[in-house]
Amino acid sequence: MKLSWSEEDEAFRAELRQFLDAHAPPEARRRNRDYDLGDALPEWGRHWQATLFDNGWMIPAYPPELGGRNATPVQTLLYLEELNRQQIIRSLHFGGYAIVGPSLLEFGSEQQRELAAPSIRGDIVWCVGMSEPNAGSDLAGLQTRAVDDGDTFVVSGQKVWTSYAMIADRCFCYVRTDRDAPKHKGISVLMIDMDTPGIDVRPLRHISGKADFAEVFFDEVVVPKENLIGDLNGGWRITMGSLAHERGALWVEGVAASQQLVEELIELARDRGVAADAGVRRRLAAAYERTQSLRALGYKGFAGFAQGSSAPEHSYMKLATSEFRKELTQLGLDLEGPFGVVTGGEWGADPARWVNRHFIALAGTIGGGTSEIQRNVIASRVLGLPKG
Amino acid sequence: MDFTLTDEQELLQQTARALLENECPSTLVRAHMQDPSAVDPLWDKHLRDWVALADGELVDLCLFLTETGAVIAPGPYFATAALFAPLIKKVDRRLHDAVIAGEATGTVAMAGPEGEWTISSASKRTFVPEADRVDYVAVVLPGPRVLVTGGLPARQMETIDTTRRVFEIEVPRDAATPVEIDEADLTDLLERATVALAAELIGTARWLLDSTVAYTKERIQFDRPVGSFQGLQWKMVDMALDYERAAAAVSYAAMAIDAADPERHRAAHVAKAAAGRAALHCARGGLQCHGGIGYTWEHDLHLYLRRAYASEYLLGSVDWHLDRLAELLID
Repeated sequence: MKLSWSEEDEAFRAELRQFLDAHAPPEARRRNRDYDLGDALPEWGRHWQATLFDNGWMIPAYPPELGGRNATPVQTLLYLEELNRQQIIRSLHFGGYAIVGPSLLEFGSEQQRELAAPSIRGDIVWCVGMSEPNAGSDLAGLQTRAVDDGDTFVVSGQKVWTSYAMIADRCFCYVRTDRDAPKHKGISVLMIDMDTPGIDVRPLRHISGKADFAEVFFDEVVVPKENLIGDLNGGWRITMGSLAHERGALWVEGVAASQQLVEELIELARDRGVAADAGVRRRLAAAYERTQSLRALGYKGFAGFAQGSSAPEHSYMKLATSEFRKELTQLGLDLEGPFGVVTGGEWGADPARWVNRHFIALAGTIGGGTSEIQRNVIASRVLGLPKG
Repeated sequence: MDFTLTDEQELLQQTARALLENECPSTLVRAHMQDPSAVDPLWDKHLRDWVALADGELVDLCLFLTETGAVIAPGPYFATAALFAPLIKKVDRRLHDAVIAGEATGTVAMAGPEGEWTISSASKRTFVPEADRVDYVAVVLPGPRVLVTGGLPARQMETIDTTRRVFEIEVPRDAATPVEIDEADLTDLLERATVALAAELIGTARWLLDSTVAYTKERIQFDRPVGSFQGLQWKMVDMALDYERAAAAVSYAAMAIDAADPERHRAAHVAKAAAGRAALHCARGGLQCHGGIGYTWEHDLHLYLRRAYASEYLLGSVDWHLDRLAELLID
């Protein structure tokens, strides 16, 4: 066990820093960006993602033709550390590079695999059609159906919480192709062109007031058979597809965000003149303690991951960081006092108000697997407890 | 930071675990309750050979202490290796060599009448571990100076924990001349001891968590293992999360101290606060998941629960460490 990395790895970090200093546009720095993507992808976003790809900095673990430089696991960790430390985003839409690209490489036909590079580069913008009104935590219960019609499938149904549907060129869509099979065994994945007649995208406004998700309605949408990805009725396996190379370091973002929040909270306490208050001090110190211990847990899990063993530590990270972010942002709200809930008018609205960040944090324990599902998974897979 | 254990560290961990599981069963822990000398063979035959870890990397000592904590080993090991050895290294090299060779035992008397491990000018020292059965007591005096003395009259303080015996002593008046010690050195070794105690607490928390998970897989109620109930599963997941992050925080603090990293002061407070929180969470949650059987004297759980509570309040509680941390972060 040691604190430092090898010289070779530190050189990798230095090269990345030089690249970011030279090329990262100011908009890519999170604090400069409004989170509402709206219905158009800004040009700087396209350009930045393509620049990362062309220089081998989009997914460093991949080979150059896929936007990488064959980086080692440690280098991938350093890469994500550095991006998060500087709060730089790689892409405005994670579906293509993080889900669709890797899934096409793993499950796609030879022809479909050729779509991986432009998906990772951001030339093709993807949305991923998973959740439905009646299929949330129980994703395998999805009902959007694709009926075999000779050379085509005919797709009807509804998706919800679909990120980027407003700007997407294509949808990576989970559909039911066998209604009689057990629910996990009748699911397939189709690639659907978003321009196809019968698709209706309606922005979905959520509690923070923004509309960066959508509902997508499919009404007898005709999809060519060659757009089937992987095996017919073999779609459930593909739900597990993701960027395996970065799985060991996904926690970095949550931890970096917590570190940033703790620093801002200490500043806020000073600004509000409560930095000497014993209760406030203990809450701030506890927030730091939790952040640092989770950071250490992430690195500990990474050590196992990098050696090719399973890293049970990482099962805890999504649960822990998302739950924790709710508490951190609530502390910001508490420090702001009565005016913390004021969002507009002559009383001085600050768009970065903690209440907005708190509302965003409230979604973090629902999306991407609720905290309750995370606990069930940890109970069964990590602690080995019997199923209920 | 790289948490990968070296081959030597993995071997150390496995050897220590096997040794302590064999040589320090709960029957020994219970025998020690009646007669402290019951632990002498464990010390003479085994633990004295491991004091040498005190003179190496803190990471290694912590790996070992996690295993002693997992069997709540009684006796002079913690006092000698985690408290006395690093202090005596600064004031008496010859005695230090003897201690590292396993030839002498010792303890440190620092906490004053309030029980806090800060420099005290009072005439009494409290919470002095194992003071009646070690060869030497190092008394920390204002200055700071250190007085090393042989046998001292010691009054045992009755506490909830029978596995680590603590004592009150009178500061000797006309004994040998005290030796001056650098205040920064004293801070360093207190931090070292704090992280070492946190490592021991991690072992204790691990036993509480593992035993609880194992028990709930076996205990049948309503025709099924109680560990299949979501109410208990989520409780254990939250215990496991606190345990895992505390274990990682302790390793990080040990690495930071070994590297003399500027973060080490904060990391030591984080480690003890996280470990104390985790151990108490696993103790209380573990007892709750065991139900009535865990509340009996016969079951070993209470031995671990007692050790966890006692260690939480030794060398600074969660709140004490958070307050020190706040000073480093805010002021």
